[in-house]
Amino acid sequence: MPAIQTDGLTKRYGHDVYAIDDLSLTVDEGEVFGFLGPNGAGKSTAIDVLLDYIRPTAGSATVLGYDAQRDAEAIHQRVGILPDGYSLYDRLSGRDHVQFAIDLKDASDDPDAILDRVGLDSTAAARPAGAYSKGMSQRLALGMALVGDPDLLILDEPSSGLDPDGIRDIREITREHAADGGTVFFSSHVLSQVEAVCDRVGILKNGRLVAVDTIDGLREAVGTGSTISLTVDAPPTGLTAADFDGVTDLVVGDDVVRATCTESTAKVAVIDAVRAAGSAVLDVETHEMSLEDLFSEYTHADEPTLARAEVDG
Amino acid sequence: MSWRVIARREFTDAVQSRVLWGLVAFVAVMIAMTASVPVLIPAMDASALLGLGAASEFAAMLVPIVALVAAYLAIAGERESGSLRLLLGLEPNRRTVVVGKFAGRSAVAVVGLGLGFLLASAVTWLVYGTLPLLAYLAVLVLTVGLGVVFVGIAVGISAATATRSRAMTLGIASYLGLALLWDLIPQGAHLAVVGGPPSGTVPAWFLLLEGLSPSGAYSALVTRALGATGAAIPSTAARLGGDVPLYLASWVFVAILLVWTLVPLLAGYWAFERADLN
Repeated sequence: MPAIQTDGLTKRYGHDVYAIDDLSLTVDEGEVFGFLGPNGAGKSTAIDVLLDYIRPTAGSATVLGYDAQRDAEAIHQRVGILPDGYSLYDRLSGRDHVQFAIDLKDASDDPDAILDRVGLDSTAAARPAGAYSKGMSQRLALGMALVGDPDLLILDEPSSGLDPDGIRDIREITREHAADGGTVFFSSHVLSQVEAVCDRVGILKNGRLVAVDTIDGLREAVGTGSTISLTVDAPPTGLTAADFDGVTDLVVGDDVVRATCTESTAKVAVIDAVRAAGSAVLDVETHEMSLEDLFSEYTHADEPTLARAEVDG
Repeated sequence: MSWRVIARREFTDAVQSRVLWGLVAFVAVMIAMTASVPVLIPAMDASALLGLGAASEFAAMLVPIVALVAAYLAIAGERESGSLRLLLGLEPNRRTVVVGKFAGRSAVAVVGLGLGFLLASAVTWLVYGTLPLLAYLAVLVLTVGLGVVFVGIAVGISAATATRSRAMTLGIASYLGLALLWDLIPQGAHLAVVGGPPSGTVPAWFLLLEGLSPSGAYSALVTRALGATGAAIPSTAARLGGDVPLYLASWVFVAILLVWTLVPLLAGYWAFERADLN
């Protein structure tokens, strides 16, 4: 049974604004899944549907085998939630927040153990949450998510507002939870925060899933790619990627030629071909692609596409 | 029993924020003052019962605004701030949330109005030297009940609205309509049907129209309670100048109060259940 499964999930506002569009995704039990995408890509909307905060326009979602809309109570009993855009109760102390969560979930946790786990000491826990920094609030909300020993943790941008220590603690808690056989589903707009802990990632853009792969799979796609950029005095004509072995993409602009090469010998071949076409090469830059580049390629794919269209025209 | 956890949280918050004590003090002072007003008017044959009558007339205006203020942000406030997302993450059943909020804020209203009224009764007792206990208890119960009715209305509004400002707008509108301006309806109807303002005896439907609002039903019940304990207040039969029809029976007004509690609550829940919370 998958921990999370969505099928054609769509949330439309008004007539034509799609927050998420035909999202089909499966997260297996015991998996740490990173849900990536730039701000506004629809990550929180998708999570809000899973948590029954909002209702989908079309499609369906199940969490731990339960329907997200009909069986919300069964889901929430077994899921720990760190929502996006929450706020704490100003007058309630940190410890009382955790106790409130324990009472509501009818759990038997020790509030001090939970607070200790998320790194809030007893002095901080005794203070009213209205005086908490963003990082402390985030730690407390994470603690509340851990109440009741949930099978699945759904964390929406858990690292936001946290310092490096806090981000490391989140990773640690995620790893512990996964080591106990639990599932973690978390969203982020920063790839580096998820690559260290995730088994798989899904990349969301404009409400659509543009890639789902393991970190290793992404790395493989990245590892074989590097880019060569040539600054030229005039654009060469008649060059396409198909002319070369080991070039997957070739873009010609007004004063630049950019090629994505899977073999290093291809770079020299590109330089030779550009010079043979009559252009003077003024500068050469090569760039090894990182995971981050791949991520931004997925999420900002508009620009190269435009450039290519201009060249074709 | 999550609704009890939520209700307890609402009540503790009212204690921690000192809202409850402010409520007690405010109600005690206002009620004690109005109950003592007859003493200050030389022409009046002042008595504790008369003071109680004056206090209850004032309470019909005061209690609604107090209860509305105490409860209109119950859900809308949490929805706007975002703490509702945390709450629903722990208890996703929105009916449980509405029930818990209603129970908690009702407890605040009951304790606040009840204690305030008791303190005011003590003052009244000092002022008049006597206190008709039964009449006071009856009015106390009815006043607290009116508070719960308006908590129901306020929580219903709060459940149906997404922002504080909209909840406040609807809260003010309901106060104006139900507590302040309602009397224009029976008066206007009387003018239209009979051709003049009510004087002497009135038609039975006039009393029903008067009593259809929560404050009107409260006043009708207070009049009967005071009459039953021997106050010199014109009875319903005397105002009608004849038999009291079935639809003016006391239980009708009790039912009206129940309807005013439950219908807004259910309507608010209905809207809340269908709302997207983001």
